[in-house]
Amino acid sequence: MAKTLLIVDDSATMRKIVMRTVKMSGLDFDKTEEAGNGVEALEKLVAGPVDIMLCDVNMPEMSGTELVKEVRKLPDCESTKIIMVSTESSQELIDGVMADGANGFITKPFTPEKFQEKLSPFMN
Amino acid sequence: MVDLLSLNEVLLESAKEIFETMVFMDLSESTDEGQDVEGCALLGTITFKGALEGCLAFCCSTPCAQAIAINMLGLDTTEEIAEEDTCDAIGEIANMVMGSVKKRLAESAGNLEVSIPSVVSGHKLRNNLGEGARKASVRINIEDEYVTELSLLYHENSN
Ligand SMILES: [Mg+2]
Repeated sequence: MAKTLLIVDDSATMRKIVMRTVKMSGLDFDKTEEAGNGVEALEKLVAGPVDIMLCDVNMPEMSGTELVKEVRKLPDCESTKIIMVSTESSQELIDGVMADGANGFITKPFTPEKFQEKLSPFMN
Repeated sequence: MVDLLSLNEVLLESAKEIFETMVFMDLSESTDEGQDVEGCALLGTITFKGALEGCLAFCCSTPCAQAIAINMLGLDTTEEIAEEDTCDAIGEIANMVMGSVKKRLAESAGNLEVSIPSVVSGHKLRNNLGEGARKASVRINIEDEYVTELSLLYHENSN
């Protein structure tokens, strides 16, 4: 089935690295979009929901943790899987964002294997 | 609470972790005391607060920053890279190294809240935090070609 991906990170470099790592992990998406912060991501999601969103935590305008809460308010994005990708690694933060509706957490630095492990369950 | 010597070690190990996994460049501690960060032209900083409060900074020359950005983006070494992309890459280096430092200090310093990274370019830049601040810093050789400095300026909060 055709899958769509949204990469949300305030660093353009990191968005490119994430995209490259997704490709290296062997996961195939038909369409990949990018957003530089939570506000931009929400605009894109309202215009058209995606299957998987890879989401940074520390971003200006709207952080990843706030974005998760907002996305979960959108009925059209009910089935969107949200995987956080962050330098943050505190258990408290991870538990909090998972309780708010995220579906997974990848810490930076990451490997293609990590992406494969965390994303493949949502690829069918 | 945290001593400077172990902080130097934390900085070095954190930088190694990030450069090995995300930048794919070799890195070693520079033993040459007198060696200066030649024309420190780009400074990537990120602030943090908690039991420790301060700023982490990564300082390098423009050619070094360009080499880092090219490696991170997987570009050809002959490709030209925009200044904006170079700055963004150095900001993300500061961000990721801070994440690694934070993880290593979690036991001794608890959770540190970090800011969004920022990058300044100029001439003879310095990481500064005013009076009473302590500073841990390591000189780092990248690919035996560039000398950079990674520093952590901080105050300890007693409560
Ligand atoms: Mg970020």
